[in-house]
Amino acid sequence: MTQGSRLYFAVTVLMCAFVSINGVGLNDLLERASQLSDKLHSLSTSLTNDLDSHFPPVGRVMMPRPSMCHTSSLQIPNDKDQALKIPEDELLSLARSLLLAWSDPLALLSSEASSLAHPERNTIDSKTKELQDNINSLGAGLEHVFQKMGSSSDNLSSLPFYTSSLGQDKTSRLVNFHFLLSCFRRDSHKIDSFLKVLRCRAAKKRPEMC
Amino acid sequence: MRNSGAVLILIFIVKLISQAAGVSAPGKPKLTSCRSPEKETFTCWWEPGEDGGLPTTYALYYHLENSETVYECPDYKTAGNNSCFFNKNDTSLWVNYNITVVATNALGKNISEPVEVDVAYIVQPNTPENVTAVVVDEDQGPFVRVSWEKPRTADTRSGWITLLYQLRVKQQKDKEWEEYNAGMQKYYNVFSLHPDTEFMVQVRCKPDHGFWSEWTQTTYIKMPDYIPRQRSLWIIITIFSVFIVLILTWTLNVKRNSVKLCLLPPVPGPKIKGFDKQLLKSGKTEEVFNSLVIQGFPPTIDYDDLLVEYLEVYDNEEQELVLDGKDLSEDCIKSKSPSDCDSGRGSCDSRTLLLEKCMVGRKGSGSDQHQYSQHGETSWASTESSECQGLEPGSPESSDGRVKTWPVVFSSPQPHHHYQAETVKPVYHSVPEILNHSSPHIMPTNYHHLHHQDIPQQEGRHGKPACRHSQSYNHFNLDGLNTPAPGVSPSRSLEYVEVQRVNPENMLLLRPLSDPNREPEGSDYAGEDYSKVKEVTSNNILLLRRDTSHHCVDDYSQASQCTTQQPPHPCKPVIYQSNSGMPQEGMRVMGNGYVDSTVLMPSY
Repeated sequence: MTQGSRLYFAVTVLMCAFVSINGVGLNDLLERASQLSDKLHSLSTSLTNDLDSHFPPVGRVMMPRPSMCHTSSLQIPNDKDQALKIPEDELLSLARSLLLAWSDPLALLSSEASSLAHPERNTIDSKTKELQDNINSLGAGLEHVFQKMGSSSDNLSSLPFYTSSLGQDKTSRLVNFHFLLSCFRRDSHKIDSFLKVLRCRAAKKRPEMC
Repeated sequence: MRNSGAVLILIFIVKLISQAAGVSAPGKPKLTSCRSPEKETFTCWWEPGEDGGLPTTYALYYHLENSETVYECPDYKTAGNNSCFFNKNDTSLWVNYNITVVATNALGKNISEPVEVDVAYIVQPNTPENVTAVVVDEDQGPFVRVSWEKPRTADTRSGWITLLYQLRVKQQKDKEWEEYNAGMQKYYNVFSLHPDTEFMVQVRCKPDHGFWSEWTQTTYIKMPDYIPRQRSLWIIITIFSVFIVLILTWTLNVKRNSVKLCLLPPVPGPKIKGFDKQLLKSGKTEEVFNSLVIQGFPPTIDYDDLLVEYLEVYDNEEQELVLDGKDLSEDCIKSKSPSDCDSGRGSCDSRTLLLEKCMVGRKGSGSDQHQYSQHGETSWASTESSECQGLEPGSPESSDGRVKTWPVVFSSPQPHHHYQAETVKPVYHSVPEILNHSSPHIMPTNYHHLHHQDIPQQEGRHGKPACRHSQSYNHFNLDGLNTPAPGVSPSRSLEYVEVQRVNPENMLLLRPLSDPNREPEGSDYAGEDYSKVKEVTSNNILLLRRDTSHHCVDDYSQASQCTTQQPPHPCKPVIYQSNSGMPQEGMRVMGNGYVDSTVLMPSY
């Protein structure tokens, strides 16, 4: 193949790929996103169960309150009626904000997982890494969804995470790890619920699925 | 002071009385579970403790995680006894509820352990509804289609809750259920159910993150009586067997040769050298057997010519004769072992070979010495003598001065294990040289007869007196010897021998000229090619000393009869009248154990 024909070929392939990526329907994108969020929540649940298997009772006493989660400031619908009233783009931005808020904390969790004072630390470590990967893919996917939706404004809430370390002694590290994980578990459930609402709202032509 | 003391005593007495009567404060209630069927409301149930024998009331109090306000349960009735129902307004998702139950009776109250509840994690839907199962008849056979509806309360339409379904089937008599996952769809086809039996079907569901619902009520379905057509099975079997047959056929085809070999082993054909199967098939037996005939066999050549006369020492007449005889015997011995070639007596054989062949070639019917050359020539013409023919033309050259050419030609130093092979080699070497002078047509015949030279030579040795040839080969003696043989070309002699010494007993000890093991005079060592003459018996028989290094045995002593005779007197072949040492009739055992069966050939 000559140089020119090769160039044409490459350009054609790229354009096809581009079109195909953008050509994926919103339904399919949302379907894929909700699958990912489902997996995310399942992972976090199993991680919590692993941690609970050998958790010191004193830790439960020491556990901070859930309102101490760094994402608690985000205003979210608390029941179905509220949730169904919210427009799609707002729901999406809520999901994306939550997702974004957890990239840093998960990095911290991932780095601390290997040195946890827990007998299941290897499993916890691998699952945390998997969690990180999933969040990244879901974030990328939600970007696509956002672009596909074509909303005008991108009002992502900033939910900063200031904690840089989990603690000094191993018990407090374990307790804080558990706490962070519980916050994440809840937030992942929120993301999952919002995305599934979005999915069914977009799938008007496939009522059997919803 | 007295009052408090009195009160205490009173309480104590009341307690004792109440204990005796069986009443007490209520026991600690316990929250058993809280469940939300649709993620919009939830219910909590508790377990009352000991009621203490007195009517006890229970109250549920809760507060949310981020406020201290304590609320009491809004609805104790909807969900039944010992339950608290939280309606939509009171339910918030993703918020922790801290719930406690307080039991109160006349004697006291008791508070349960607090329980943290997040509604999002306690979802357990109601059972699916309207489970129906119908038998659908199709070509492949009837199957059961089970369909159902979602639980009424679950709002899957908006996506607020996502349900996954599962059904299970079993016969009445079975112990285990067969479970099938239906995903998010609300129907399922069950195949391969036994005909003419009744089946039980149940369905349940679960949210994406939550608990399984209860199983529905059993739905019964009866499969009709039908004969299962196993057509697809037969089709598969047929295809499979056809495939296997094809593979087998192809394998057999590929390996057909070896299969043929295995089943029909080939009949060995005749393996006679020179035997032409085609000729036999064509029916010309005459020609076929003609090809088997060895040209020149049995040899009709002058065996005398074959005898290689290595040395003629003309000390005096007698000695000459003796020498001749001895030479002859030695030559006979030397040349008579075609099969001795195996023994490694290569030098001897190679040297003797051509000479013997020359002798064969020279053999003629004539006994006259002069006839040798003529006979030899005639024998050439008759293509019976092989190398001699080649040699003969060159023989004129091989006069005294040219004697030397023969060693070049024939004394090839290779150890020849087979007589024939030896003959072949030197001849081929020499032929180009020699045949320069000879007619080319002789060449092929030379080669042709090479194979057959052994036997005739042997016979020749046996048959003819070597004495006759002794004169022929005197040219091939050492330098300085007389060369009186007229008409005899010196080309015949190929072997140089030298007389080692003459014993007082008139024993001539000879050895080949180029024998590397030549020892100086005075040793009894006769070389491996030679056998020492032990004595000459009364009836003119030369008895040879049997030696391990020798290959010839006494047999050739017969031929040496002529030694005592006049040179021109032809020796009679007396092979088979050996005096001693002949182990078998017609068989000659060599000194080295080889048996030479060539003596069986008739001598001429």
